[in-house]
Amino acid sequence: MTAPLLALDGLSCRFGGLVAVGQVSFAVQPGEIFGLLGPNGAGKTTLFNLISGITPPSGGSVHWRGSTITGLPSHRIARLGIARTFQNLRLFGSLSCLENVLVGLHKRSRQPLIPALLGNGLFRRRQAQLEEEALALLRLLDLEPWAKQRAASLAYGDRRRLEIARALATGPELLLLDEPAAGLNPREKQELSALIRSIREQFNLSVLIIEHHVPLMMELCDRLAVLNFGERIALGTPEQVRRDPAVIEAYLGTSR
Amino acid sequence: MDAGLLQQMLLGALLGLSVYLPLRCGQLSLASPGFYAIGGTIAALLSTRLPALGGASATYPISSVLLEMGLAAALTGAIAAAIGSVVLRLRGIYLAIATIALVEILRVITLNLAITGGALGIFGIPQPFNGPEGYAFFTAALLALVCWLCDRLERTRPGLAMAAIRDDELAAASQGIDTAQIKLLAFVLSAVVAGITGVVAAHFLNSWNAKLGNFDASITTLAFVVLGGSRTWLGPVLGGLLLTALPEVLRPVGDLRLIVFGLVILLGPLLFPQGLISPERLQSLGRLWPGPKRLGRQAP
Repeated sequence: MTAPLLALDGLSCRFGGLVAVGQVSFAVQPGEIFGLLGPNGAGKTTLFNLISGITPPSGGSVHWRGSTITGLPSHRIARLGIARTFQNLRLFGSLSCLENVLVGLHKRSRQPLIPALLGNGLFRRRQAQLEEEALALLRLLDLEPWAKQRAASLAYGDRRRLEIARALATGPELLLLDEPAAGLNPREKQELSALIRSIREQFNLSVLIIEHHVPLMMELCDRLAVLNFGERIALGTPEQVRRDPAVIEAYLGTSR
Repeated sequence: MDAGLLQQMLLGALLGLSVYLPLRCGQLSLASPGFYAIGGTIAALLSTRLPALGGASATYPISSVLLEMGLAAALTGAIAAAIGSVVLRLRGIYLAIATIALVEILRVITLNLAITGGALGIFGIPQPFNGPEGYAFFTAALLALVCWLCDRLERTRPGLAMAAIRDDELAAASQGIDTAQIKLLAFVLSAVVAGITGVVAAHFLNSWNAKLGNFDASITTLAFVVLGGSRTWLGPVLGGLLLTALPEVLRPVGDLRLIVFGLVILLGPLLFPQGLISPERLQSLGRLWPGPKRLGRQAP
């Protein structure tokens, strides 16, 4: 087996007395779609925040391609190739869709100072190139007609896809999707599943996905981890997880 | 129009740009008058105490003014870089309070140092120009230069990063933007603009004292940006020009002018919450304009 892309080792996060994430370990392999399931408040989003450097962990470590990245600031983690979307959409509302994706290209959009100051042909060609790249991503997510529109004016489902386009622009090897299907209608949910697969093929990346919609996860994910009260209670293929007594207990309770 | 008033308006526009730069990435910094005061004090001290700069001659050499501006830019930039890396960890109103404190500390220091002339300040600052017209030309050129730089900034990578930070700092960091670095860049640029403006103002006003960089000035300059708009550089320029001119234009109505001035500051944000100038408004203006391509970033 190849070295894991991302490995969590006993990762913990405490807020005062509350253990939001307790001693969670798992590894995501290259090319894998890895799902995180769990009831509300199980610590899934907190886990994303720990991985992406938004919240510092209280214990344990995060490894990226074998080297530790625990405690790095979030912009450094993003530059390493870990992109994320947000559960409650955090787009740049006053910028156009195209500009939102251009922000995602930040890592690669550095231009030499003098041409940038002069705005000469060299600068404009490079800028056009970047815009074409951004447009291609918008096209991929069926957002091209709205390229010049402000992100805040988009419909909900379109905003969710714009977040994915922006995340892809950072050139990730691992994409963290936080409830990408929340608020989508059944048809959009179906399309999302196909979209995530095609993104994996096209960009050759791994996906770590949080989602409540269990049928979607069972169909989409190669492997799943289930969290409850901050602890990992199950790990395995969808079929293994479906039969796991601890999962059934967490979701349905025990019979007395 | 009176060239003296025009000169004051141009200085107002420059100060507006100084407040605008941090605000464009969502940082409410009121430190501009403090850096303006540092610039003014440098100009006043150097031109009156250093004979080598040519203070004794009938007209003070422009090269010396440029030298003072260079020094003021370096010093205010360095101070801003040192202070900024600490205070920019604060957000929102806390940053505003910290920068007000900075302005007050600088004011009290200037008030109590013997070298800056205490409460009386420094007098007889030599004049590089014979009248306000010369100042107005010089300042207009400076303003044009700063506007051009701001325009380039807005159209390039750091400008887009600044807008992203203003909209959502956490999401901006998640796109790989070093938010601390970009915020510091805006803060340092803001300080440099305020510092060189102070140099020009000190010569123009002929005397310099601690009162010129105080809390009132912080609020007035903030009003420039609030009225004009903080989304593109044209906003604070317009706000600075208008609000500096208004008290003078309203002089005929006597004491009523303070009320009118207050009303404008109150009604401006109420009627135009985004400020008088926003990219959207520029765009719709551009559509009315049949001529060559307009200023807005987006092509139709």
